[in-house]
Amino acid sequence: MTMNMKQWVADVIASDKKKALPVLSFPSIQKMGITVAELINSSDKQAEGMKIIADSCPTAASVSLMDLSLEAEAFGSTIRVSDDEVPTVIGSIVSTEEEADALKVPEIGAGRTQIYIDAIEKACKLITDRPVLAGVIGPFSLAGRLLDVSEALMYCYDEPDMVHTVLQKATEFLINYCNEYKKVGANGIVMAEPLAGLLSPALAQEFSADYVKQIVDAVQDDNFIVVYHNCGNTAVKTIDTIVTNGCLMYHFGNAINMAEMMSHVPENLVAMGNVDPAGEFRNGTAESVYNRTKEVMSECCKYKNFVISSGCDIPPMSPWDNINAFFKAVEDFYA
Amino acid sequence: MSVINEISEALQKGKRKDVARLVQQAIDEGMDAATILKDGLLAGMNIIGEKFKNDEVFVPEVLVAARAMNAGTALLKPLLSGDAAEPLGKACIGTVKGDMHDIGKNLVRMMIEGKGIEIIDLGVDVDPQEFVKCAIENDCSIICCSALLTTTMPMLGEVVKAAEEAGIRDKVTIMVGGAPVNQAFADSIKADIYTEDAASAADAAAAVFAN
Repeated sequence: MTMNMKQWVADVIASDKKKALPVLSFPSIQKMGITVAELINSSDKQAEGMKIIADSCPTAASVSLMDLSLEAEAFGSTIRVSDDEVPTVIGSIVSTEEEADALKVPEIGAGRTQIYIDAIEKACKLITDRPVLAGVIGPFSLAGRLLDVSEALMYCYDEPDMVHTVLQKATEFLINYCNEYKKVGANGIVMAEPLAGLLSPALAQEFSADYVKQIVDAVQDDNFIVVYHNCGNTAVKTIDTIVTNGCLMYHFGNAINMAEMMSHVPENLVAMGNVDPAGEFRNGTAESVYNRTKEVMSECCKYKNFVISSGCDIPPMSPWDNINAFFKAVEDFYA
Repeated sequence: MSVINEISEALQKGKRKDVARLVQQAIDEGMDAATILKDGLLAGMNIIGEKFKNDEVFVPEVLVAARAMNAGTALLKPLLSGDAAEPLGKACIGTVKGDMHDIGKNLVRMMIEGKGIEIIDLGVDVDPQEFVKCAIENDCSIICCSALLTTTMPMLGEVVKAAEEAGIRDKVTIMVGGAPVNQAFADSIKADIYTEDAASAADAAAAVFAN
C-alpha cells in the first residue's frame, strides 16, 4: 500500500494518542507452532506471521524480522541456526586488505535475501491498514560481522582503510537491497546498527553515520522511510552524530535512559523505545511488563515525538501474556 | 616525561608498538620489571578502566589499550620473578554452551587482565564441565561465564551445578553476566556475583582476591 510516509511521520508526531511500534515479529513462531529455523527459511511463514501480529496487535506499523545474519550470509559468512534463537554469524571472512579488496558485493537474492524480499512482497498484500517496514542491517554492523565484531572495533584504529573498503561494499549492497524492498511495496526499512552503539562519537561518525547517510540519501523519499535502530549504550552520547544520518525515525534500546534521550532528539524526528526485550518481554511477568511500559510512557510521553516501543527486537519464545500486557499498558495509559 | 609515564600514555592510546618499544627501553635502562608492570602497564589500564566506567572512552579504546598492555606484558613475563611474577589470582572465562557471542566476554577478560589477574579464555560455546575442568586443572579461584541469549542463560545455572557436582563449589567464586542477565536471575541460580558491565566485573574480580 503506497502512502506518503513523510506525512505519516508528521501525523504520528501530531497525534495525541500514539500506537505503539515494538519490534515484534519473531514471537509469531509460537502462534504458528513453528521454529525460528522454519520461519527464516519461508517467505510464506514470515508473511503469515506478520499478518497474525497485525491482526492481533494494535501496532503503528508492521515490522519484519530483525535478522542480523542475513546480509552477512549473502556475502559468504557462515551462520549458526537454532530452533528458538535468532541466527548468529560465526567467524569472519575478511581479515586482510587483500581479502577486503577481493570481497565481492553479492547479487540481491543471494543467500536467504530473496526469501525475505518475497516475504515483504507477500506481507504488503496482506497488511493494508498500516505501513510495512522491512528489517535490514546497518553498514557498520554488517562490516563488523564480515570482519569479526571484536576485531572490527580494533581495526577502526589499526586498519581504517580496510574497514572503509568493507563499508563501501556493505553500503553498495544495502542500497540495492533497500531499493528491492521499495520495489516490492515496503513503506520503509528498520535499519539495525547496534554495533555502532559501541563506538565513540568520532568513530561513530566516520564508520557508521556517514555510511548510513549514503543509504538514506539513496533510498529515502516521500513514500519510503528509513527507521534507524541503535540499542547501544553510547546512543545518548552520540545522538548529535546519529541525527546527521537523515533518518526521520529513531529506535533506541534499554541500555539508555529514554527520557534523557528524548531531551536530545529534535522535535521533528520520532524517537522510540525502550522496554527491555530480554529482561521484560522474554523473562519478565505480565505485571512487570505492564508496569515498566507505563513507567517509560509516564517519563517520555510529554515529548510529542516519542513513541513507546520495545528496546530491541522481542525475542522468540517471549510469552504472549507479556506482549499483550505491553499493549494493555499502552491502552490504559491513554484511557 | 619519564618512560614509565610514556608507557602508560601509549597504552591509553592503544599504541601497542610504542608500548612494546618503550617497555623494552625501560628494561634496557635497567628498570625493575615489576615496577614497569605495575606503574606503567597496570596503571595505564586502570585509568582506561575508570574512563570506560565514566563513558569517557568506549569499547574500541578499551580493546586496543588491552592489546597494547599484552604487548608490554609479553616482554616482562620472562623477567618477573618471585612475588612479582605471581598474578593477583587466577580465573577462567567463557561464553556458555550454545552461545557464540564474545565481545562482552573479551572485554571482561581484558579488563580483568588489567587488574593483574591471570585469566584463561575458554572461548565461546563452552560446556559447563569444561569451565569446571579448567578451574580444577589450573587452580582458578574465579569462574566467569556470560550469556547473551535468553535461551542460553540457563546454562549459567548449569555451570553452578557442575561446580557443585565436582565438589569445588566452595572453592570457586562464580561470576555471571551478559545482556539478558540481571541480579534476580543471578540470585536464582545461586551465582556469587553478577555485574552489568566489564569494568564492574574487573573490580569485583579484584575484590575477590583482595579479601
